[in-house]
Amino acid sequence: MPFDDYPPPQHLLGDLGMEAEITTETTARVRTRATHHVAAADGGVRAGVLATLVDVVGGAIAARVLRPDWLATADLTLQVAGPVAGPWVEARGSVVRRGRTTLVIEALVVSVEEDGTDALVDGRPAGPVAWASMTFAVLPARNPSSSVQAAGGLPVRWAFSGGSLEGSVLEALPVTVEDAAEGRVTVPVRPYLWNSFQAVQGGVMALVAEAAAAAALGAARGLPPTAMVVTDLQIAYLALGRVGPITSRVRILETGPTGRAGAMVELRDPGAEDRLTTVVNVGAVPAGEVAR
Amino acid sequence: MTATAPGTDGGPVDRRHHVSDYFRLERWEIPPTDGSGRPSGVGGRAPVDDHLRGPGGGLRTGALLTSIDSLGGLLSGLTVLPRWIVTTSLLATVSRLAHVGPLRLEGEVLRRGRNSVVSTVDVVDEGEGGRHVAAATLTCAVLDAEGMELAFDRPFALPLPPLQQGAPAPDEFFCIEPGEGATTRLVLADRLRNPWGILHGGGVAMLADEAACRAARAADPGAAGPRGVAAADTVLHYLRPVRVGPAEARCEVLGTHGGRTLVRVAVHDLGAGDRLVSLGSVVVLAV
Repeated sequence: MPFDDYPPPQHLLGDLGMEAEITTETTARVRTRATHHVAAADGGVRAGVLATLVDVVGGAIAARVLRPDWLATADLTLQVAGPVAGPWVEARGSVVRRGRTTLVIEALVVSVEEDGTDALVDGRPAGPVAWASMTFAVLPARNPSSSVQAAGGLPVRWAFSGGSLEGSVLEALPVTVEDAAEGRVTVPVRPYLWNSFQAVQGGVMALVAEAAAAAALGAARGLPPTAMVVTDLQIAYLALGRVGPITSRVRILETGPTGRAGAMVELRDPGAEDRLTTVVNVGAVPAGEVAR
Repeated sequence: MTATAPGTDGGPVDRRHHVSDYFRLERWEIPPTDGSGRPSGVGGRAPVDDHLRGPGGGLRTGALLTSIDSLGGLLSGLTVLPRWIVTTSLLATVSRLAHVGPLRLEGEVLRRGRNSVVSTVDVVDEGEGGRHVAAATLTCAVLDAEGMELAFDRPFALPLPPLQQGAPAPDEFFCIEPGEGATTRLVLADRLRNPWGILHGGGVAMLADEAACRAARAADPGAAGPRGVAAADTVLHYLRPVRVGPAEARCEVLGTHGGRTLVRVAVHDLGAGDRLVSLGSVVVLAV
């Protein structure tokens, strides 16, 4: 969310050109363009980018619902349900339950046209692109009166302005593949990727896990990382990634010659005593089998 | 809430063990040996009895999730004694549906906070050379035990429960009503209540499995394989307890992509004002 000096002028969310709107006290929508810079091997939008979109819509809702308290994403799941059918993808989030210590939000990702209406396929509404859920931990405000969360301090509609991607979103981070077979990739910790805690944003962690799993699962089948399409992400956020470079370790759970494959990705922070920051279970299929 | 309830044969059952006894889940604590002070792990083993097998050829996913929840709950609970826990979310990736058995489960605490515990449970098939079966992440909320008896001999160990002759299939054990279509109900029998007096989390997991498969079949009968369909990857957020029942799972088939059908599952407690008690998704595969 655009609070005070977050996000900074040069930031991934700006380069993704996200546009957000609070639609009620407990719902919001956020959209981004489905460009080839964020495309997966099947032509859809990368699961990690969808997760970033979902994290932003969830954060926008949570910031309003929980004020003056603050929030941290505890878990995020995203499952791809169908192809992208419009120039934009839009995450529509809503509160499922507000508890004393947690807030649960779900989001449906759909394809939309330039004017914001639902995309059509053969004259009928296109099916959902993905379903997602999030749990946010409630962080009690230490000094509510001075918080950026003070009443009236939150906008209803905003755009993350900045530049635009000039290449693949993975190049923009940038993700470096150190060892594809081991699924070891790295990403530096820098302001471009920060969340409001000046640690790596949760959606970026999803992108890194996606890249790591695709590299390892592709290598296991003799395929390049770009040949695997990630369809499922189950993410548990354990600690902030503050120092870096964030480094992945992958354990392949299942892979055969064809069909679904699964991996568990650990994201660690070597600059912070190799702390385990995030655990991600990933499901994927080869690009040529997505339409089955 | 009394510690016992009438079982399927009319005899008393212990609410603390009733569900894990049905699934014959052996569990043992694994204290740390490196002096690091980190929490104990918990190991488990469960045979794959014939009446527990589903169309995928192995333990039904709802049953697998029940054992994961039982083991992960024990693991998290031991970590926060003298307080205790309830599961708030279960995220499971199921990599294999056909199992030889027995299955071995290993749980480890990833993070212990003031209000929650995050743990991971890994499942492999000992009968197939340790081949991977499932990986799950559980989050549990920490609660005051409110008089619950929490006396454990440490390190804790619970032996393999005996096979119950004539034991019903999991859907029957959990009192899931027969039917087809997008809505499936579970009747809250007293024996399905855990020591907190609410429906065991495994009941919700089994209901989600059965309901999602029925919904996927109803949405596209041609999507089933020779043996039908089976639930795999599952996300469950336990939002509120099921206190009254029946519990009704309402499913929406979101799409078929990458060889799998994604079903959103919302569980409501009809007797408690129809309130939403659990929300999640289930990946359904043709088998």
